[in-house]
Amino acid sequence: MSLSNLIQNWQMFRTRRPYEDQYKDAPYKWAMVIDLDTCIGCNACTVACYAENNLAVVGKERFGKGQAMHWIRIERYWGEGEEMKTDFPERGAQYLPMLCQQCEAAPCEPVCPVGATHHSADGLNTQVYNRCVGSRYCSANCPYKVRYFNWWNYPERAWPNPLELQLNPDVTVRSKGVMEKCTFCMQRLRAGMDKAKTDGRILADGEVLTACAQACPTSAITFGNLADKKSKVARMWKKQQVDLAKNVQDKTEEGIRGYRVLEELNTYPSIVYLERLRNFAA
Amino acid sequence: MSYAKTLLLWFLMLWMGATTVWAEPFVQGGPIGSQTSDGYNALGPVVEQPIEFPHNRHAGDMKINCMYCHTYARRSNVSGIPRLDKCMGCHNLLPQVRDKPRIKKLFEYWDNKQPVPWKKVHDLPDFVRFNHERHIQRFYFQEKRPVREVCGYCHGDIASMTTARRVKALSMGWCVSCHEKDHLEKVGSSVTSHGPNDCWLCHK
Repeated sequence: MSLSNLIQNWQMFRTRRPYEDQYKDAPYKWAMVIDLDTCIGCNACTVACYAENNLAVVGKERFGKGQAMHWIRIERYWGEGEEMKTDFPERGAQYLPMLCQQCEAAPCEPVCPVGATHHSADGLNTQVYNRCVGSRYCSANCPYKVRYFNWWNYPERAWPNPLELQLNPDVTVRSKGVMEKCTFCMQRLRAGMDKAKTDGRILADGEVLTACAQACPTSAITFGNLADKKSKVARMWKKQQVDLAKNVQDKTEEGIRGYRVLEELNTYPSIVYLERLRNFAA
Repeated sequence: MSYAKTLLLWFLMLWMGATTVWAEPFVQGGPIGSQTSDGYNALGPVVEQPIEFPHNRHAGDMKINCMYCHTYARRSNVSGIPRLDKCMGCHNLLPQVRDKPRIKKLFEYWDNKQPVPWKKVHDLPDFVRFNHERHIQRFYFQEKRPVREVCGYCHGDIASMTTARRVKALSMGWCVSCHEKDHLEKVGSSVTSHGPNDCWLCHK
């Protein structure tokens, strides 16, 4: 390994993130917008994720113990909070699809003892199963609790013969003792990026979607390339006045509803949520 | 037990632990006959094929481009094993070799409407994503290197073999040993770049 490569690798993967103009010259920075106003909590994204990413169905008992492997889950909240009580609590359900926020300053990354999780050049928080030794420190450090540990060897139980034929060949079937998490459907991105590179271009907006975004019946999930200023995601981020590299957003406009979950923890997530609108007079 | 004996036992245990736990499976060298063509201790096994396909006749003597048969290499992740009708497309028109034993076997499969059950030689682990397309596009179409050389980076000199054998290590360290080299971007250009080194580019 030449010294220049070594230094370049170090700069790419081990710098303090985020920094100014981080993705100015980069071809890709994957990001998402989730509109909570259109989310109807139907769980189609979760099902799509199970199918796409070979997630094991763990069964009721283990689900109850919190060992479910859903990379995207629908969190339910009731009521509108302390100050906005509603007379119709049964109408008060709110849904929040929670998946890996692909934080720029990810709390899970620096604590991994073996470097199994690191930041990729296109802004994804990667998890390399071969390297993972199962210390579970990353999961303990994740404020969103979106890292899932394989407590058991699931493949034989979850996909008894001939169900293993439904597995996606582009995704590893994880075994016991490794941590796993949302990858923003890296296998789809990779296939698309390879094709685009052969054509000598970068991926067009909407050419590749994550499984959850594709399955969403109300198009609540928008996925795209934040480095491309003309992409739908980049325009939405700009409209909501959310800057990737800021932990306190200076919003000048009234009535915009974009926010990032637990931004005050300085994790700089890559997912913007759009607040839900309620009409209490009706 | 004396102090010296205990010490010796400790050393023995440490040494055994070091050789069993920290043994490096992929190293330069190794016993003669188990070395890859670039000198690693990871030569692939001999794979018995249903027909002893002579790569040396097709790619060596006839100089048929590898991608005439392995047609998906330039546009897909996998290079593809040719279908039987690809063989027959030529061999139907070659009556002069019709009575050779290997060709007789080929026609037997054709007459029985059975595919030839070729066996996989270059088998990567399931957690690896290798893309033929990007390598072929970069080195063959963009840099215009000879096809025998480009395919040979990973497959060795197939044109001198009959049935293929894995003669390169195809381990991660071996892949990286090429990816970290500075390659010229184009013919005659001085701009260099090296292969991608992000985990998720190859691991899935």
